[in-house]
Amino acid sequence: MRRALAGALPYALVGGFASYLYYAATRIDFHRRADTLGPDVWPKLVLGLMIAVCLYEIVRVVLSPRRRGGATGVLQEIAEESVAKHGGGETVELGPRSPLMLLGGIALTAFYVWIIQRLGFVLATAPYLVAFIALGGYRRWAINAAVSVIGTLAMMFFFMKVVYVSLPIGQEPFAQVTLALMRLMGIR
Amino acid sequence: MEVLQSLAVGFVHVFAPANLVALTVGLLLGLLIAVLPGLTLVMGVVLALPFTYTMDVTAAIILLTAMYVAGTYAGAWTSILFHVPGEPIDVPMLWDGYAMARKGDAAKALGWTLTAALVGGLSAATAMVALAQPVARIALTFSTPEYFAIIFFGLASVVSLGGSSLANALISLFAGLLIATVGVDDTYGAHRFTFGVPILSDGIDYLVVMVGAFGLGEVFLRMEQRFTSAPLQSVDRVSTRLPTLREAAAVKGTYVRGTLLGILIGIVPGAGATVASFLSYGVEAQYGRRKALMGSGIPEGIVAPQTAATSSVGGAMIPLITMGIPGSGATAIILGAFLLHGLQPGPQVFETSSEIVYAVFASIFVGVIGMCLIGYFSARLLVRVLELPEVLVSAYVVMLCILGAFAARNNITDVWLIVVFGVIGLLCERWRFPITPMVLGVILGPLAETNFMTTMISFGNDWTVFFTRPISGTIMAVAVATIVYPVLRQWQRRRRLAAT
Repeated sequence: MRRALAGALPYALVGGFASYLYYAATRIDFHRRADTLGPDVWPKLVLGLMIAVCLYEIVRVVLSPRRRGGATGVLQEIAEESVAKHGGGETVELGPRSPLMLLGGIALTAFYVWIIQRLGFVLATAPYLVAFIALGGYRRWAINAAVSVIGTLAMMFFFMKVVYVSLPIGQEPFAQVTLALMRLMGIR
Repeated sequence: MEVLQSLAVGFVHVFAPANLVALTVGLLLGLLIAVLPGLTLVMGVVLALPFTYTMDVTAAIILLTAMYVAGTYAGAWTSILFHVPGEPIDVPMLWDGYAMARKGDAAKALGWTLTAALVGGLSAATAMVALAQPVARIALTFSTPEYFAIIFFGLASVVSLGGSSLANALISLFAGLLIATVGVDDTYGAHRFTFGVPILSDGIDYLVVMVGAFGLGEVFLRMEQRFTSAPLQSVDRVSTRLPTLREAAAVKGTYVRGTLLGILIGIVPGAGATVASFLSYGVEAQYGRRKALMGSGIPEGIVAPQTAATSSVGGAMIPLITMGIPGSGATAIILGAFLLHGLQPGPQVFETSSEIVYAVFASIFVGVIGMCLIGYFSARLLVRVLELPEVLVSAYVVMLCILGAFAARNNITDVWLIVVFGVIGLLCERWRFPITPMVLGVILGPLAETNFMTTMISFGNDWTVFFTRPISGTIMAVAVATIVYPVLRQWQRRRRLAAT
């Protein structure tokens, strides 16, 4: 039963969210024209099909929890059969998963997106890269710092000077640092 | 004759300095990406997209296409030399390529790979030039029901051919179609799924979905796996020794079979280079003259997957250019680049932007030759990037993802969205929902909806019109069969298992 519930969980979540969106689609505000389909029809059609597939999968998983997967793609099957026959699908022995490293990486990236508006691109990106590389287990600090700083400055130069993208310069007083760097690099 | 003239003009454009630089950079990047650990071909093309924003459209498409072509080639080097496939495309190269290398003939194995990529690439490019205009001419006669049917077929085959689970691929596709509906509707001006958030009124850019799900999602996944890479074996000397003409002539059947299969699979949406490579190896192992020796390090086992993988690129460009339907993740991004530069691929593209199209076609010819030359002279240098720690590469990937999302609209909300789609991409990988159908859904969703709604308006809301018109009816029937077939196969297999 536990296996069935775990298997059905993703479909229940997706199906539930799709049902909520279907409800939202019934409340789309527009002036209906006679004999013409409205802007709600297409999303409702897509959501209806999505809910139907989710329900089918939930029923399938609950009724036969031991059976792995449903129908697979035809050509995918051919590829999988070849790998099973000749080997080579798993050439790298993966170590244990690290949910903490993953959560750290996501949190760090989210924090970077938040702070970049305040500190500006340069002051936020270089420390972010150092932290990301260190979090990934790389311990050669001098190389880490060099790669991060040089990479940040190179990207700043390329995007602001060559591609003309106005990267965030940050709020005062941090903006002054970015502006000084821009002057040094000849970016106007 | 007219086609040859246009192609000649295309060659002139390719040799313009800016385009030639774009081509060379694209080839080098494609070769590097195919070799680098933790960087997939699709991810590489996504990351290169922001750099093309200010480029001329021809140079931009040439750069991305060159990356796509080169990406199907260089991954074979690491399979042959180190038993590390650079891309899933290169897994079949482990079976005969690596076996040949272990016999002490690594240089010859690299030589077979090079000739296979050259023959496959040039043949497919020729087929692409020959077929594109006739296909476009046929497509010009289509009306909205036929167009909807073609898009429906494209999406159906993406779901049913390549996915590891039909249901998951369908859900992924529906999610993509739904994401495409977010924003203000074109016809009524109605807000759909914006939930009062101003930035959502402009819709969710397909670029954000691609960069987030393909790029950031993959980095998060590798991070969870602690960026584990296979340990590299030491290789004394990397060189390429080409097979003699007599040796090549002995496997001409394999070259022909691999090329034809690759072009055909490239044309079918959803299949792509990986499937072409596996299928071609499978065909050779089943029907080849020396099928009993496959896996022991014979040239056929190298030529078959490599010709198919490289020739699938030319095949995939045909539906992309003539109908605006991408068949794989990489072609979806190339379509994105066309749209970013205000160019809509489709049957009319030969009338409106013939010069650009033929320049792209010509660039594939030049690109294949250039790729082989670079491969011949620089394989030794390029495989050294394998020594780069993956975490350093991944840090740059994240930075490029963020810059790419920001640069599209200069909006920080898009950057937040790529983080969201990165997490969604990670969950998709975890729960085995394929990402490609979602991305294709986002790109083709507006086209599908427009053609569906226009048909409904034109034919008095009669949905049977899709099935009663001869061409659209046939395409719809094939599309439905494409989805039903895997289900029937599964059902048959279960019955057979139950009977035994």
